[in-house]
Amino acid sequence: MSKLYLKYLLGILALGFASVLPAEHAPVVIVNSVTYPNASLSQNAISAIFGMRLRKWEDGSPIKVFVMPDENPLHIAFSKYVLRVFPYQLRSAWDRLVFSGTGEEPVMVESEQQMRDIVATTPGAIGYLSRSMLDDSVKAVSDD
Amino acid sequence: MTLLKPSLMIKENLVRSPPMLPRRVFVFIFNKYQEISKIKLSSQLGCRIENLCLVTISIIFNGLMGSLLCTIVFAMFSREAQAIELTDNIRLHGFLTQGYFLTSDNKLFGASDKGGSFDFTEAGLNASWTPDPNLRLAGQVLLRRAGTGHEHDVELDFGLIDYTAFSTPDFLFGVRLGRFKNPLGLYNDTRDVLVTRPTILLPQSIYLERTRDLSLSADGGLLYGEHRSELGTLSLEMGAGVPRGNNLDTELAYLGGDYPGETQPKLSYIGRLAYEREGGKYRAAISAARVDVRYEPRFIQPDDLPSLKDIFIPVIFSMQYNTDQFSLSAEYAIRRIQESSPDNSFALDVTGNSYYLQALYRFNEKWQAILRYDALYNNRNDKHGKNYHALTGRPAHTQFATDWTFGLRYNITSSFLVAAEYHYVNGTAWLPRQDNLDPNEMEQRWHIFALAASFHF
Repeated sequence: MSKLYLKYLLGILALGFASVLPAEHAPVVIVNSVTYPNASLSQNAISAIFGMRLRKWEDGSPIKVFVMPDENPLHIAFSKYVLRVFPYQLRSAWDRLVFSGTGEEPVMVESEQQMRDIVATTPGAIGYLSRSMLDDSVKAVSDD
Repeated sequence: MTLLKPSLMIKENLVRSPPMLPRRVFVFIFNKYQEISKIKLSSQLGCRIENLCLVTISIIFNGLMGSLLCTIVFAMFSREAQAIELTDNIRLHGFLTQGYFLTSDNKLFGASDKGGSFDFTEAGLNASWTPDPNLRLAGQVLLRRAGTGHEHDVELDFGLIDYTAFSTPDFLFGVRLGRFKNPLGLYNDTRDVLVTRPTILLPQSIYLERTRDLSLSADGGLLYGEHRSELGTLSLEMGAGVPRGNNLDTELAYLGGDYPGETQPKLSYIGRLAYEREGGKYRAAISAARVDVRYEPRFIQPDDLPSLKDIFIPVIFSMQYNTDQFSLSAEYAIRRIQESSPDNSFALDVTGNSYYLQALYRFNEKWQAILRYDALYNNRNDKHGKNYHALTGRPAHTQFATDWTFGLRYNITSSFLVAAEYHYVNGTAWLPRQDNLDPNEMEQRWHIFALAASFHF
């Protein structure tokens, strides 16, 4: 009985998530298409990169991380559904790095347009966009 | 007589080795509970001219720092909080917090019991340079005002070279050389930055103001390693270095008074093993340190203490659980102090324990509330100071402190916040001594109301 109830509850939660995120607004990790041709990253790598714990690509070139403001809906969706953390946790982890001298925080961009432009023109860049904003200037990363 | 001149009594007793009480007891009284009113604060700064120079430099620096921060504040006001990028790989960050403390009794960061005190300011400016993905240089200057003895502290908080020897999505190994922040518990690494700590006054059970200087940072080297997997992230930091803190605070914290000789920290060790799951939803850590502090007398006994060696071993267990709206945190510490002289005529071994439980609730992105219970016992075999009082005649409440805290925080923007909190405190064990010279004038039960405004970028 309780198992059934749990399944039902999980079902509602899953539906809830789905309705929050129509496919065209779902966040997609993007990289600069020139410097990172092999556009496939593990969940571990994506978490490490946006957690600012991994600073170079496999070829040794620096990773440049771009994010949107904490309260931006796409950033919130990206944190929750791609990184699977709450935005405040991400922010507090970055603050700890910055003010203890052990790391840096990502560079902030104000809009999706700006995100797409900066990732397209910065070697080694990584960021995210909603699916509907993708074009040929950047490369979407598949999660493997 | 015992009450009025305990230090004299103790010194005489030490010389004569009286048969009435075991020597251990006298060592205990002598070292830990010297009469604080004998403190000569002037001895800390040396001659007057030097003093004047220091003050002038500090005022100029304060002014510069203040105007710089004000400029930054105005420049950033309309924008999102983010680092200033000087070039592609040099970043600047900073913070400024002004606090107000009002207490019913006892002094906390200035004359807080007389209409409140604004003598609490924290400001920092930090820069980091990443010339290469494997190499990073970072430094932070801290300016702090925090009551008597800390009217204008300017210090290098950290200054280090960080070299990443090995880094993949699953593993990270590296080393930090220079002055590094001590990895202790959940909050020590960034304890002076209000946005990273839950309340204006950190839980004193674990993050004591008194031993602050020793716990801040150390000069030496630290190795770090990290392993990420689907099970979570395991990280280990191990360092060796000389802690900062060769000043009056250390002497007060360890010896219980200001003595003629010099107190200096020596090579010490620190480590933290931490585990995180689901991006920090569950966090747990064990941190430990072995802090070595020496006292070298200036005069021979009985006019001075013998040379002393203090080994302080804190072990801290930390846990945190984070959901969208709730964060529950708990930390428990066992703190052991061993004190001895070379000929072992002095031998002291006291273990204290302390802990707090904290619940934080986020109403939305702007508002959060916090409730915490915090407890500190200097000596776990004499939790309420009864034996201590019987032996010394001094207030038992200097040996423990429990603190109920309720706080509110409002994030005006992502870079500005204001915070308010109320504490009901029973005991005076963590009360900074320089502000409260006479333990007999301390009140056991007291209230704190604090306000702070903070900016960071």
